[in-house]
Amino acid sequence: MNNVKVSTKNVNVHYGTKQALHRVTLDINEKEVTALIGPSGCGKSTFLRCINRMNDLIDICKVDGSITVDNEEIISDEVDVVSLRSKIGMVFQKPNPFPKSIFDNVAYGPTIHGIVETKTDLEEIVHLSLKRSGLFKEVKDRLHEPGTSLSGGQQQRLCIARAIAVNPDIILMDEPCSALDPIATATIEELIDELKNKYTIVIVTHSMQQAARVSQRTGFFHLGELVETGETQKIFTNPENEKTQGYITGRFG
Amino acid sequence: MFYWSLIIISLGIYSAYIFGKSRITSHSRQLEIKTASLPTYYAQYIMVWCLLPALIVYFGWIIFEDQIIQNLVLANFDFDLNPALNASLLIAEIKNVALSDSFAEGKATEILNAAEHYASIKYVSSISFYLSILIVMILGVMFASRKLQPSFRAQQSIENYVKYFLFFCSSVAVLTTVGIVFSLLFESLRFFSDVSVFEFLFGTKWYPYIPIREGQSGSQGSFGAVPIFAGTFLIMIVAMCVATPIGLFTAIYLAEYASPRVRRIIKPLLEILAGVPTIVYGFFAFVTVAPFVKTFGQSIGIDASPTSALAAGLVMGIMIIPFISSLSDDVINSVPQSLREGSLGIGANKAETIKRVILPAALPGIVGAFLLGVSRAIGETMIVVVAAGTAPNLTANPFENVTTVTVQIVIALIGDQEFDDPRTLSAFALGLVLFVITLILNIFALRIVKKYRERYE
Repeated sequence: MNNVKVSTKNVNVHYGTKQALHRVTLDINEKEVTALIGPSGCGKSTFLRCINRMNDLIDICKVDGSITVDNEEIISDEVDVVSLRSKIGMVFQKPNPFPKSIFDNVAYGPTIHGIVETKTDLEEIVHLSLKRSGLFKEVKDRLHEPGTSLSGGQQQRLCIARAIAVNPDIILMDEPCSALDPIATATIEELIDELKNKYTIVIVTHSMQQAARVSQRTGFFHLGELVETGETQKIFTNPENEKTQGYITGRFG
Repeated sequence: MFYWSLIIISLGIYSAYIFGKSRITSHSRQLEIKTASLPTYYAQYIMVWCLLPALIVYFGWIIFEDQIIQNLVLANFDFDLNPALNASLLIAEIKNVALSDSFAEGKATEILNAAEHYASIKYVSSISFYLSILIVMILGVMFASRKLQPSFRAQQSIENYVKYFLFFCSSVAVLTTVGIVFSLLFESLRFFSDVSVFEFLFGTKWYPYIPIREGQSGSQGSFGAVPIFAGTFLIMIVAMCVATPIGLFTAIYLAEYASPRVRRIIKPLLEILAGVPTIVYGFFAFVTVAPFVKTFGQSIGIDASPTSALAAGLVMGIMIIPFISSLSDDVINSVPQSLREGSLGIGANKAETIKRVILPAALPGIVGAFLLGVSRAIGETMIVVVAAGTAPNLTANPFENVTTVTVQIVIALIGDQEFDDPRTLSAFALGLVLFVITLILNIFALRIVKKYRERYE
């Protein structure tokens, strides 16, 4: 059994007067892939964005409850959001490379955090990150072309490289494959499987097959509540809750 | 003539409409066939065919009537026999006599006869004017009513006419622009037949006074426009030094930091700034800023003139702020939210995100806004007339008097010299240069903005 990396207790999220999450309590284990599944609008992305305080960007969004990362509370005004986010990488639904070169995209994080001192160190980090995201071979001859010139799947792996370049502990993925074709999806899934040896990964996905393929634990959200959580194998073969059963067998959602 | 024809045409098209509608309704009832379009479209079709010929006759008559009558009246005069006669003076005299008896006293019988002739032609002409409008309206309706069959697709025809009408409207602006360009071009050519292009573009002395008599001392005209271009450039630089940073920072604040409430207040206020007439800015520059600039100049030991490039440039910069801030605000807002999230998600703070991701992404649009601001600055007149003086000094010192292209155009045109004086004509050459420069800037700006748009769509 792995250590608990992120622990949430009774997390409520309100958008204005509308409550989006109800008392979500969930533990996320270190160096495992945790998948969050559920129908659209069930709050799984909202939950994901609580972990790196991305919901701060939305004025009307209010989060309460308790979330700890490495046993440190993060739902508090005293938390340094910038250093928290440097510890938690995020990959978004739609690939969002910056309008810069491939190299600069990956170098962005290390540069702003002052991780590197020399140019060679920076190059090393960029190359390593691109290797880890499985993109290096494809782009090593054109590191100075714009990141937007890559294909969708490559762009998404570039975004993963960008996220791991600052050496985070946790990577949050918000439906990373929903804009990709099946082949690119397969590549990303293989990558996720490798990355879990080094990082704690939380992935929101619409595809139950994907959750089953890549994750060790799965949480099922419905209408803002965490209905059931457990080992992926158990959730997909023998769920305890009727709603989970209904969703994974395709009766609703 | 105008009011009567207005009434005739209005009544005509109204009855054409009624006629068309009742005709097609009864027709379709008789044949027991449903009409292809709603009856109103048939009525409109008839109306168009009634109105169009009437308008053509109306405007044709207005344009050509006077000339034709003049020719008819003057045909009785033999200009070859009497070379002292001037046709335009003569016709003016005849018209005056025809209009009022008080002019008739002591005129030659020839003129009196001609005036009578003129009056009778004029009378016949106005009668036949109304008649021909009526006739063409009736002919139009008759022609169009052949098509009043239930199978005729009136709606499609009307839509076509609407399309032509819209095309006509849009071509008005285009044709006007073409006309402006040509009038500028031809007058400039007249100017350049007196003054060489080389002297105009590269001469450093602007002294647009032509000697009244030969050999007059100390007043040889000189049309070197370099001091004017330099003055324009100087004021533009000062203005953009004010407008670009302030406008850009305003835009960044509005787009990235301001709460929706603050934004709701500041944006309209900025737009009010854009709506202030430029002459009002001129007052402000002259009354408030120029004395301040003079005092400031003295305090640092520079002798500033009461009106200066700095005063005009500062106020012009204020005027341009809303252009830059509003355009840049739009551009920054259109940078996708996903880029912001991507940067913040890595742990960049807000300032880093703006500096390293958002501004580079928005840069082409911001450059476009800047160039549009520059072309405003170059074309601005009133502030400079009031606050920068009119002396064509070739200087880089912003505390001195300078003058700009637009100001010199104003000065050249408000004098009482003759129209073919090179001094007056110099206005057109200056205008042409101004037009070309702002045109190039606008093309550049639009191109950059367009390129930017394509990237995110």
